Amino acid sequence: MIARAWRWAALALLLAAAAALGGCAAQTETLRRAPPAGLNPRVELAATPFFPQTEYHCGPAALATVLAGLSADATPERLGEEVFLPARTGTLQIEMIAGARRHGAVATRLPGTLEALLRELQAGHPVLVFQNLGLSWYPLWHYAVLIGYDLERAEVMLRSGTTERLVMSMRTLEHAWVRAGSWAFVALPPGQWPATAEEKAVVEAAVGFERSATPAQAALAYRSALQRFPDSLSLRMGLGNVLYAAGDKNSAALAFEQAAQRHPDSAPAWMNLASTRAELGQRDAALIAARRAVASGDAAWAERAAALLASLEAQAKDSSAPR
Amino acid sequence: MKTSTRWMTRLIAVCLSFAGFMTSAQATLVSTEQVAASEGVTSAADQRAYVNSMLTRADVAAALQERGIDLAQAQARVAALTDDEVAHVAHTLDTAPAGASDVLGTIVFIFLLLLITDILGFTKIFPFTRSIR
Repeated sequence: MIARAWRWAALALLLAAAAALGGCAAQTETLRRAPPAGLNPRVELAATPFFPQTEYHCGPAALATVLAGLSADATPERLGEEVFLPARTGTLQIEMIAGARRHGAVATRLPGTLEALLRELQAGHPVLVFQNLGLSWYPLWHYAVLIGYDLERAEVMLRSGTTERLVMSMRTLEHAWVRAGSWAFVALPPGQWPATAEEKAVVEAAVGFERSATPAQAALAYRSALQRFPDSLSLRMGLGNVLYAAGDKNSAALAFEQAAQRHPDSAPAWMNLASTRAELGQRDAALIAARRAVASGDAAWAERAAALLASLEAQAKDSSAPR
Repeated sequence: MKTSTRWMTRLIAVCLSFAGFMTSAQATLVSTEQVAASEGVTSAADQRAYVNSMLTRADVAAALQERGIDLAQAQARVAALTDDEVAHVAHTLDTAPAGASDVLGTIVFIFLLLLITDILGFTKIFPFTRSIR
């Protein structure tokens, strides 16, 4: 019985191995056969600094590479203390993103396509990539920084481990990168965004950045993101919230007003507009906004919207009562 | 003695009312993360943070330690889970009865389960980046 179970397990392992090895590097092939329009055949960001890793510190070293020039104190040693987990001789992916944020950079996940990585390089952004250099069932995880590519030779260049300029076959990179979940990000100062970032990734990055940045820096990130995605409710609400946090209630009210105009069904937009107007002393305008919040019929916010309207109405009654 | 107690009471009362005022002033705005979550964007990150915050609670940490589960390892496991899995854990925590012991039971069960499936090889929840030398 036990022997049979082992046989099944061995078979399963072999199948998994075959699946891992069998996949072909489809993206590399497509990119080589039909290079996308507007993509340079060769790019190398030779000025990217190099921090050779020590022991298992590939995470901190790779993070220091993409943060160089953004933060003076983002050395591998310092980052090692912040993101490295000694017990597991490694660094977690979310800690890499959070580590970049703590040093004032906006870390944005890239879409999971090889083409996106190459387009970022062309835009001058070194890309932090996560790789599984082993197999799916025997993983060997590794962080490295992609600094260049050569479509004709199907090669990529990386700052990796203790190698300053590692030239790797694009196929191998594709395999290792896809095996690690096609995970890559670009770290940029607030106000700049990766060329290929999608709306969801930008919202995620901006909201995460708001958590650890000053309101002024966060406002810069939101404003620049809104230029690319003007219809994002989260970004516009974020702008209003950080302006409010910075004490600029007039600008905050304006941002909430725009959010409410573009998204008239959003209860939070009307609610924040009502609250901010009330604090600015615009009682009637606040009441109008609060009524719109209740009328939006958004079930998730119905209770809070009703409570807000009730408190604003009570305040209005208090102030209009004869003394 | 009596006057000092009275002063202390007044001081605390002032502090408390001020704290209450502060929170009510802050609570009027809907936070960006709440909006983003209702838009279905950062909910995964929020839930991850929520599950992690549960793990760092003193009583939960102690219970995990009693059962031989390292806190860092448990958190690492959360990081390794996919967004859907984290959502499931967060949902389980949310719907568990409010009593601390029930939450504890849920957390310990989830991590023991993951530990066992890991050992059996059904899952490979090793987020960990054992980098090459």
